[in-house]
Amino acid sequence: MKQKSMFSILALTVLPTLVGCGSSDSSSSDEDSVTLEVFNIKTETAEQMDALVETFEETHEDIQVNMTTVGGGTDATAALQSKFSSGDEPDIFMLGGLADAQTWEHKLYDVGGIEIAENAIEGTLEGATLNGTVLGVPMNIEGYGWLVNTEIFEKAGIDVASIQSFADFEAAVQTLDEQKAELGLDGVFGFSGGETWVSSQFSSNFFAPEFNNSLKEAYEGETLELTYADRMKEYADMAVEYNARPLEAMDYSTSVEELFASEKVAIIHQGNWIVPTLNSLDETFAEDKLSIVPMFVEDDTEGKIVAGPAWYWGVNKDKDQEVIDASIEFLNWMYTDPEAMTSIINDFEFIPAYTNFSSDDITDPLSNEIYTYLNDGNTVPWVHNSYPDGYGQNTFGVNLQAYAAGQISWDEFTSTLIDTWNDERK
Amino acid sequence: MLTNRSKSFWILLTPAIAALVVVLFIPLTTGMYYSLTDWNGNTVGEFIQFDNYIRAFKDEGFIDSLIFTASFSFLSVLLINVSALGLATLVTQKLGKWNTLFRTVFFMPNLIGGIVLGFIWQFIFNKAFESIGNLTNIDFFKGWLDTPETGFWGLVILFVWQMSGYMMLIYISFLNNIPEEILEAADMDGASPMQIFIRIKLPMLMPAFTVTLFLTLSNAFKLYDQNLALTQGGPFNSTQMTAMNIYNEAFSMRNMGFAQSKAVIFLVIIVIISVIQISVTRKKEISA
Repeated sequence: MKQKSMFSILALTVLPTLVGCGSSDSSSSDEDSVTLEVFNIKTETAEQMDALVETFEETHEDIQVNMTTVGGGTDATAALQSKFSSGDEPDIFMLGGLADAQTWEHKLYDVGGIEIAENAIEGTLEGATLNGTVLGVPMNIEGYGWLVNTEIFEKAGIDVASIQSFADFEAAVQTLDEQKAELGLDGVFGFSGGETWVSSQFSSNFFAPEFNNSLKEAYEGETLELTYADRMKEYADMAVEYNARPLEAMDYSTSVEELFASEKVAIIHQGNWIVPTLNSLDETFAEDKLSIVPMFVEDDTEGKIVAGPAWYWGVNKDKDQEVIDASIEFLNWMYTDPEAMTSIINDFEFIPAYTNFSSDDITDPLSNEIYTYLNDGNTVPWVHNSYPDGYGQNTFGVNLQAYAAGQISWDEFTSTLIDTWNDERK
Repeated sequence: MLTNRSKSFWILLTPAIAALVVVLFIPLTTGMYYSLTDWNGNTVGEFIQFDNYIRAFKDEGFIDSLIFTASFSFLSVLLINVSALGLATLVTQKLGKWNTLFRTVFFMPNLIGGIVLGFIWQFIFNKAFESIGNLTNIDFFKGWLDTPETGFWGLVILFVWQMSGYMMLIYISFLNNIPEEILEAADMDGASPMQIFIRIKLPMLMPAFTVTLFLTLSNAFKLYDQNLALTQGGPFNSTQMTAMNIYNEAFSMRNMGFAQSKAVIFLVIIVIISVIQISVTRKKEISA
């Protein structure tokens, strides 16, 4: 107790002085230089981002970039909120979709006219456009769905490419389950339902068609019908029944790093952001065995995955024009400078959201696959970013856990989903 | 004399009062104000009076978290104090050098931060227990933290382990302050060690209970980081404590005003419980 409070008093008194010194020093050292405060929440690529910033500073001597990286999810929202509340506002920060754009609308600069906004792949700006004003530019494209280990499928005699309908998928799961012992599997699925964000993403597949696969319509959707609840139940039941551990309790690291990477499960619900992690555990995994299987929701034979920009860069408009210009310069540079573009593809392993990149450049097979889905129009957007605040995780995610644990029935589950949605959107 | 004293009294008090005003009273009043509005963190839309409070009492998740927090606190306060007193009695026996060693070892968990503790115990429950379960085939060790019950007990175990050492130190200092002659007199009158403990040491320890009960009770109620690291409130929010419920309401659901009203309710509950506890234990205190 005592040590704790002593420490916090110390921290409270010392920190502001340090921060104060830091900022006053840098601004007074050179009259013409601008220091950009960037608030980044993509921890997976924090190192790459720091390297990229260094390259930027080498070519732009009058602009300095101060990158703050805070871990994803709720913590980042809270950290961003406290930055704004304390008056220490960042110049560039990240938006997770329309809800965030709405929250920060009064702070966001119209970036519709800047170079990269014009380069953006059609439709990718929708998640940050309010009333016709573009408030953010996409960071990258991320896709997710059922990630599978093709090697295990092959051993069980299933060709992943031949899964062309819901029935095929169901049959494949059955086959895998029957051969669980020979294949050395703990379970067919490694669905980390303990992480409510995973469940929230899972829900996108079933919510999107109801809103015509539009982020805007989902964001404005006043009522939820759950048109595709039956198909959702079939998928959810399968995941619950064949999960390696109780679905409601499995966490991310058990699912990805422990079970999937060591081939104890064949299917997980994740996205291309796990590729760097998989590479660090097994260099050949992503290269040789990783693939994505679509979900068959609207149509029994037409499979779709979820793909689109997960994050947008927003520019703070309450700053000096000089700072705003520098911010835009930085964003433009990141996605148009040849050196930066190479880094975005090779070091960040991003799927670019801009047309000036060539699809041939994407080296990672999974990213390439997702990019193909996107080009063929076989994707739905990240609609869970258009749900009411916190709905995906705290309502869908939490209640899916309760359903998986047998605490509530499916009917109770769906009626909670509908009631909460309609209540929040009243 | 009195005026003189009161002058320096107030001057010396000023820094403390200023600090209290800045970090406590101002946030408290603005917080109270925000709890009556539909504040979203940036702008206040309208003044909605007590709507937030009415909504809070109808919010099942909030009520569940209060019940969970209360039962967690009750059980952990009991277990912490029983084990701390037990440990304190043990290490005040005449063991020579070992005394210091044991004291240090028992106190150590308290030096580790809550988040780290949470992850350590998550590892123990998920990995170590699982391995023991697989080796011995005893079901007791399997699936810890997967169910509401094991999540609850996991939190209690973690917290007892963390706090016992600290409370032990407080008990030790009070045990050492019991006058030797009283104990000797009792011994000569033929009282057994057990009788001495119950009839003499326990009553003499009453001031210690005031302190330890207050510390454990308020810490148990406010627990957040251990909760976050160990279970994140899961499965299905069954192990979500009130602090976490409020945090999620504010930063995940972005209902800042509503969350603020929950926080005020929570504050009132903690104040009432603490006041009752202190006044009850104070009455039982006796002087040697």
